[in-house]
Amino acid sequence: MFCTQCGANNADNSAVCAQCGRNLQAAAPPIPLQTPGVVLPPGVAVQNYLVFAILATVFCCLPAGIPAIVYAAQVNAKLQAGDLAGAQAASNNAKLWCFISLGLGLGIVVIYGILVMVGIISGISHSN
Amino acid sequence: MPIRNHRMLAAMAVAAAATVVMLRVFDPSTSGVFPPCPVHYLTGWYCPGCGSLRALHQLLHGNLRAAWAMNPLTVLLLPFLTYGLASYALDEIRGSGMRSSVPARPRLPQLFLPAVWIRALCAAIILFGIARNLPIHPLNLLAPGAMLHP
Repeated sequence: MFCTQCGANNADNSAVCAQCGRNLQAAAPPIPLQTPGVVLPPGVAVQNYLVFAILATVFCCLPAGIPAIVYAAQVNAKLQAGDLAGAQAASNNAKLWCFISLGLGLGIVVIYGILVMVGIISGISHSN
Repeated sequence: MPIRNHRMLAAMAVAAAATVVMLRVFDPSTSGVFPPCPVHYLTGWYCPGCGSLRALHQLLHGNLRAAWAMNPLTVLLLPFLTYGLASYALDEIRGSGMRSSVPARPRLPQLFLPAVWIRALCAAIILFGIARNLPIHPLNLLAPGAMLHP
């Protein structure tokens, strides 16, 4: 089992952590997931980028955020099934689509900025 | 703790702070400082995010009702997004990021949403995007600002 204080890996039946001395039997390490039927090894987590996927969908105004959310769901589905490698692959895809959306959003900001500048310059030259 | 993550975090924090200041000062519906939604500009259709910047502007001025009228989805998701960003940032700062396989120091509890919830959220976002374009009475109130002028 992993020590809840320092994270060192101890034998399952050890009473105290070999590294930091924390009592391992008093309090069972809390399982981070409260979902019934879902038990992950403690501390194992794969980033699903869900927050960034939603931000990309709602604020970049671009459809590229939707695949990011779909892959975020896939990360958690694979984690629930215990497929760590699959979760990591889905996580990479979620990240990729977040960056695609960010790139498209920044591209639009730059194009908009150029158009505004062109508009201002042509406005000045017309008024002269 | 890779330095790259710290730089990324700092860049995101600066960008977020700058956006908040800009959104407080300039009204996206009148100022022309913010680009229009490309989906609405190109197709004439409202996307699920249309009105989200105007909603944030109204929220930064304390007008919950106007923010709700601009984009109820944004207002509903904001607490979740804020918590998600805060827990992500705290993890990165403390060096017990999610990529680490060792459960280290105590941290903000990570929300773990079952995949079904995320898929439902995804469906809700898409349905919201469709509904606000329909010319049917209660649904057309979901278009940006429609609730303010029924």
